[in-house]
Amino acid sequence: MAPLVNEHASILQNRPVGPGLHLLQLHMPVIARQVQPGQFVHMRIPGREGHILRRPFSIYDSDPEAGTCEILYQAVGSLTSYLPSLQEGEVEAIGPVGRTWSALERFREGSATRALLVGGGVGAAPLHLLARRLSEARLPFDVVLGAQTRDALVCLPRYERLCAAAPACSTDDGSFGFAGFCTPLVEERLAKGCTADGNPYDYVAVCGPEPLMRIVCGQAEAAGAYCELSLEKRMACGVGACLSCVVETVHGKKRSCVDGPIFDSREVVWA
Amino acid sequence: MTRKPRETSVRLAVDLGGLPMANPVTTASGTFAAGREYADFVDVSSLGAVTTKGVSLNGWEGNASPRIAETPSGMLNSIGLQNPGVAHLIECDLPWLAAAGAKAIVNVSGHSFREYVEVIEALEAAGTADAYEVNISCPNVDAGGMTLGTDPASVQTVVSLCREATDRPLIVKLTPNVTDICEIARAAASAGADALSLINTLLGMAIDARSRRPVLARAVGGLSGPAVKPVALRMVWQVHQAVDLPLLGMGGICTGTDAVEFMLAGATAVAVGTANFMEPAAAVDVVDGIIDYCEQQGVADVNELIGGLRC
Ligand SMILES: Cc1cc2nc3c(=O)[nH]c(=O)nc-3n(C[C@H](O)[C@H](O)[C@H](O)COP(=O)(O)OP(=O)(O)OC[C@H]3O[C@@H](n4cnc5c(N)ncnc54)[C@H](O)[C@@H]3O)c2cc1C
Ligand SMILES: Cc1cc2nc3c(=O)[nH]c(=O)nc-3n(C[C@H](O)[C@H](O)[C@H](O)COP(=O)(O)O)c2cc1C
Ligand code: FES
Repeated sequence: MAPLVNEHASILQNRPVGPGLHLLQLHMPVIARQVQPGQFVHMRIPGREGHILRRPFSIYDSDPEAGTCEILYQAVGSLTSYLPSLQEGEVEAIGPVGRTWSALERFREGSATRALLVGGGVGAAPLHLLARRLSEARLPFDVVLGAQTRDALVCLPRYERLCAAAPACSTDDGSFGFAGFCTPLVEERLAKGCTADGNPYDYVAVCGPEPLMRIVCGQAEAAGAYCELSLEKRMACGVGACLSCVVETVHGKKRSCVDGPIFDSREVVWA
Repeated sequence: MTRKPRETSVRLAVDLGGLPMANPVTTASGTFAAGREYADFVDVSSLGAVTTKGVSLNGWEGNASPRIAETPSGMLNSIGLQNPGVAHLIECDLPWLAAAGAKAIVNVSGHSFREYVEVIEALEAAGTADAYEVNISCPNVDAGGMTLGTDPASVQTVVSLCREATDRPLIVKLTPNVTDICEIARAAASAGADALSLINTLLGMAIDARSRRPVLARAVGGLSGPAVKPVALRMVWQVHQAVDLPLLGMGGICTGTDAVEFMLAGATAVAVGTANFMEPAAAVDVVDGIIDYCEQQGVADVNELIGGLRC
């Protein structure tokens, strides 16, 4: 793994892209060069010194040549609601933290032949770099995206550019695609067992709200596919030292920051 | 980028109850693991010492999640002293610290008097700890399940037993959750402690009004970070007046100035804890800040600061 850095990243852009959703573009050349799909940065947000802890955010996209990374974030609490007001200046980002999705390795060794990526809400962010790498390597994959409304499906255009077949979408309010949660779309694809060219999915990656991930993991396991998920736990250090972020697994407690955030679904012991 | 403090002509070396430290700064137990996780940021050999995460005999599972909550200028934790046991520390962590050239203060925990002694005996047999910091903030069966660090008689017993088990520097870490910290400090001193460290975390709580639930799974947890600094300073100052032992001060230290304040209040050395989470090279920043202060104030030897408060 690449050594961690605490990079002083200048804010290039920080703009609203959907309901409560913002896209933050940062100049952080070291992390941009080294980041692997699914990894995250542990970010110190200036100007709110009473909030002493950093916040973890996945890397949504990176451009190693330009030295930039993008983060797609949702305003859910104190710092993510304050962050949109930062239009210039610097944040500090420890990264790239965590393990990457094993999809590319699995394709290389032949244990994966077709992948299904499932993103719920901002959970679509940590899957995007994976989709890009799969697409660049011309490996077969499909995407299922779920969101509350049509406006919240902000990742869709980028995924459309990467995917051979249009991503299957669902919205809670039915304003776009399937009306309801995205799990029936996943079920449908896994149950069909094969797609147009006859390849069953043998690899599933999911990120989103925990109840969604739990269902998708069950669906994938039932279909005999290897499944990975990206967990979100509260973090203090973000480097593996404090044991704030532990996850219950069949091998005992693991740190989600550095032993995850990506876990094998069969390893996770759900609460 | 791995950092170490800048060069200076200021004499930074201190003696913490028989533990020689190249500078007065160590890490606070539980915030720095055994150093390896921070090795990309900090040259651990450039610190006065590394204080390791609390270790028990056979390891503990720790508490349920959520284990942390952010609070104004601080945080609560209820990690529950999760650790893999002393054998793992001896086999994996202490050799790494030794190879890196760092001094190791091993923080020792136990659920019974006997467990503290057994942990120290295991470490003595391995011979790789430079000093011990005995955490008396653990719930203890021999103290009727309550935190033994709140009862002077229990403190005296456990410190005496640990004292018999080792000739190495023995630091006793005090809990602030007591009525009179000086009374506990005197009990530890009379039982043979070489130094005292303070403060451990202050018992606190956070509530989510919307869900009407505690934020932490265990409801209560230990408060740390800048929010506790005034309490920690007050306690270091009081204990410095009450006992004639060197003190390792901690609680919210983020900068060199914070560290100097603790030394003026009576601390011989300081530990950087929660600040590591804010800035991974915080311990180096604190040493640099002490150097800045000394150079600006014409202090040739950092020992001049200890207890130098003008009242
Ligand atoms: C590995 C990882 C990657 C993440 N990637 C993204 C991302 O790409 N985009 C995005 O919008 N969000 C992401 N998150 C979640 C993000 O970190 C939290 O939304 C953020 O920390 C909330 O900060 P706040 O100050 O706004 O919230 P607070 O005011 O601190 O809390 C508001 C709510 O958010 C919850 N929360 C606080 N900290 C975390 C945390 N570390 N993880 C999950 N929930 C938390 C709290 O329990 C509370 O319910 C990620 C989290 C992890 C662990
Ligand atoms: C996450 C966390 C874990 C801790 N674990 C231990 C421990 O294992 N043993 C111990 O004696 N103190 C432990 N502490 C207490 C610290 O060592 C220190 O006494 C306290 O946090 C005050 O210093 P600070 O404000 O600089 O963090 C822990 C603190 C934190 C925040
Ligand atoms: S956040 Fe500290 S160990 Fe994961």
